[in-house]
Amino acid sequence: MLERKRIESQFADSPLTGVGDGEKGGFTYDAVAMMPDVKVVKIGGQSVMDRGRAALFPILEEVAAAKDMYKLLLCCGGGTRARHIYAMASDLELPTGILAALGGYVPRQNARMLQMLLAKHGGIYIMHDDFEKLPLYFRLGCIPIMTGMPPFGYWEKPTENGRIPQHRTDAGVFLSAEVLGCKRAIFVKDEAGLFEDDPKKNPKAKHIPRITASDLLKADLPDMILERVVIEYLVRARSCHELQIVNGLERGMLTRALAGEDVGTLITKA
Amino acid sequence: MTSKLVTGDGRTHISSSLMRESLVDRRVIAKTNSEREFSILPDVTLVSLGGHSIFDRGKGALLPIADELSAARGKHQMVIGVGGGTRVRHTISIALDLGLPTGGVAQLVGAMEEANAVFLNALLAKHGSIVMQREHFWELPLYLENGMMPIVISVPPYHFWEPPPEEGPMPTHGSDFGLFIHAEVLGMQKIIFVKDEDGLFTKDPKKHSDAKQIKKTTLAKLLTDMPEELILDRLLFTAWKTARHVKKVQIINGLKQGELTRALAGEDVGTVIEKEMTHA
Repeated sequence: MLERKRIESQFADSPLTGVGDGEKGGFTYDAVAMMPDVKVVKIGGQSVMDRGRAALFPILEEVAAAKDMYKLLLCCGGGTRARHIYAMASDLELPTGILAALGGYVPRQNARMLQMLLAKHGGIYIMHDDFEKLPLYFRLGCIPIMTGMPPFGYWEKPTENGRIPQHRTDAGVFLSAEVLGCKRAIFVKDEAGLFEDDPKKNPKAKHIPRITASDLLKADLPDMILERVVIEYLVRARSCHELQIVNGLERGMLTRALAGEDVGTLITKA
Repeated sequence: MTSKLVTGDGRTHISSSLMRESLVDRRVIAKTNSEREFSILPDVTLVSLGGHSIFDRGKGALLPIADELSAARGKHQMVIGVGGGTRVRHTISIALDLGLPTGGVAQLVGAMEEANAVFLNALLAKHGSIVMQREHFWELPLYLENGMMPIVISVPPYHFWEPPPEEGPMPTHGSDFGLFIHAEVLGMQKIIFVKDEDGLFTKDPKKHSDAKQIKKTTLAKLLTDMPEELILDRLLFTAWKTARHVKKVQIINGLKQGELTRALAGEDVGTVIEKEMTHA
């Protein structure tokens, strides 16, 4: 057989196709955190952006007041226009990957809106390819703002029993925090996190301040506060071990969350 | 579908069947399902050339395959993908020794595949090949209509956002998976993986002399009895479960001259894995 021109390495003969190639055979892995002090904050689409000025401006005041204390990376959700796109594309029976690519347009618009509003405080719109320039933006005192959508686009996996992409803006926020080595990601929504029932339909629903990812998955609820894949990934995350959901409509909540207070709901790895 | 604006709960909604809905709700997700799905480019075959198995063997392995590909042009509409091979393995070794996060490793590996795409393009340019960058996704019909052979980047663009693997730090969304999704989203029905073995075996035939070739099987059968060592990304099979278009994945031995030509002609050489479709 024709010989391979190979480079000798730990994995030179590995097929690289399976789970667990990594830590077999005494291989040790000592992870380095890229920028563990960054605060990755999601600004909700339907929950915040679609409410317009009344909801967004007070949150942006909190962001502006906090920006010299923390390295803030803002990520945007989609909202009702994304829902319209998913509804149209499902009606046309297009594949999930097309929905994911199309759904990506809306959070980018929202990120650009945030940038315009935060420009005077150093708001800067960044794309996925700018991720490696984050240290520069923070060094300059900027607030980088990007889409919450991960860059999977056309390469999104087909969804079981439906067409809506599994990885949307919650997933992108979690994965950004995970790769940066941040312990916690903050999700600014219009509810104080998790309740025993839908608080929009049942105002007496009891608030859940803290729950583990495995308990949440065990409950097997038909609906969830964050995208299901995020909770599944949290169980096996290496760095990002806490997802905090706060009510952005309540003044001061984001500020307290940034200060490390356990307001809202915490979904934890263990 | 109308585009009426709906207000009254503090938010401004656009009227649609998903308006105000939680996109995490299984019942809502199920509303977006239907029996059929639109096929964008159903008549195209995706041909993947292994990095480790073909490219790293150099001229002797690569030139005969390049000849077969150029002879097949005009007879078959093809999109070509290439793997990264030994340089990807070296990249991962170094990156993991340094402790880079999984997403950081995923960010790095695509470069080695892209280098192989350029190698192949240099060999096939006179036969109408072109390296297709991701941002030129929708130029694919243009290339195909003009009889060209687009060479695509195999690894999916998950980059820094690679999901945490079930085990270990190594990224799991590799080039076989990436090409599978590429074929699926465009509604292709057939993928041919050109490797250096006769197909799928019960174990790695390079390490075990008693490994048996699996000539023909179905996805369902394979999922119930998955070989420990696999010639294709495990996640390809996971994704295939929920896929709607790809019907046939064929693994052939590119070191045997003529096998690619026969596979393109529809012959069941190598290993053929089929999925029984529940809907068209």
